[in-house]
Amino acid sequence: MLVDALDHLVRGVVEEPEDVQVALKSTRRGDLLEVRVNPDDLGRVIGRQGRTARALRTVMAALAKESIRVDVIDTDRRRG
Amino acid sequence: MTAAENFEVPDLENQVDSEQEVLDEGDVAADYLEELLDIADLDGDIDIEIRGGRTYISIVTDEAGTDLSGLVGKDGEVLDALQELTRLAVLNATGERSRLVLDIAGYRSDRADQLRTIADEAIQKARETGEEVHLEPMSAYERKLVHDVIADAGLHSESEGESGRRHIVVSTLDN
Repeated sequence: MLVDALDHLVRGVVEEPEDVQVALKSTRRGDLLEVRVNPDDLGRVIGRQGRTARALRTVMAALAKESIRVDVIDTDRRRG
Repeated sequence: MTAAENFEVPDLENQVDSEQEVLDEGDVAADYLEELLDIADLDGDIDIEIRGGRTYISIVTDEAGTDLSGLVGKDGEVLDALQELTRLAVLNATGERSRLVLDIAGYRSDRADQLRTIADEAIQKARETGEEVHLEPMSAYERKLVHDVIADAGLHSESEGESGRRHIVVSTLDN
């Protein structure tokens, strides 16, 4: 449910919804939701001063009913 | 229809355009939120209302329905986050910036009643003492509601402080 919810929330705010990928990973520090978007949409998902990413985290924590990490992956930087 | 209304000759073409825009805004927002509720398996009805050119979306349940308080959060922080995302979804779909107001389980309307009481008490205090009254920090939307109540009472109000501490100061006009 969390993956689908985050996928939906992110698709609504980007220009290339087909490029949105969300994965749930279990880490030693708890569950992590990883978001990948088209590099051109990175700014839209992060927002001014990280405002959009913060809003996504707030809503996801509410839906998860516990703290959950949400990371927006900068794919461009990873490749480079 | 009254006679006065018959005399009004509005610019029909523009009116239809802007009305259509506002409707689209509400539809996009309602679709975005409805699908989220579906995914999260939460029951809720979505109402769209347009007042004074602003779109108001509210998610409500009947009394036996799902508890939506988790989507409101402490001091409405989840509600504000959802409103922010919904405005962005509208901007993304229509290309127009949205000022829509989202309410969930009546949180904002209850809070508006509370703010009116706070404003009334500040008005009374400012009148009695002739001194400035500092209110608690509030969001921009909440400050707007309070400014309006103060202005209606014929008193003066200003916002002071930065970001998280931004609050209203009420004073009588002759100060």
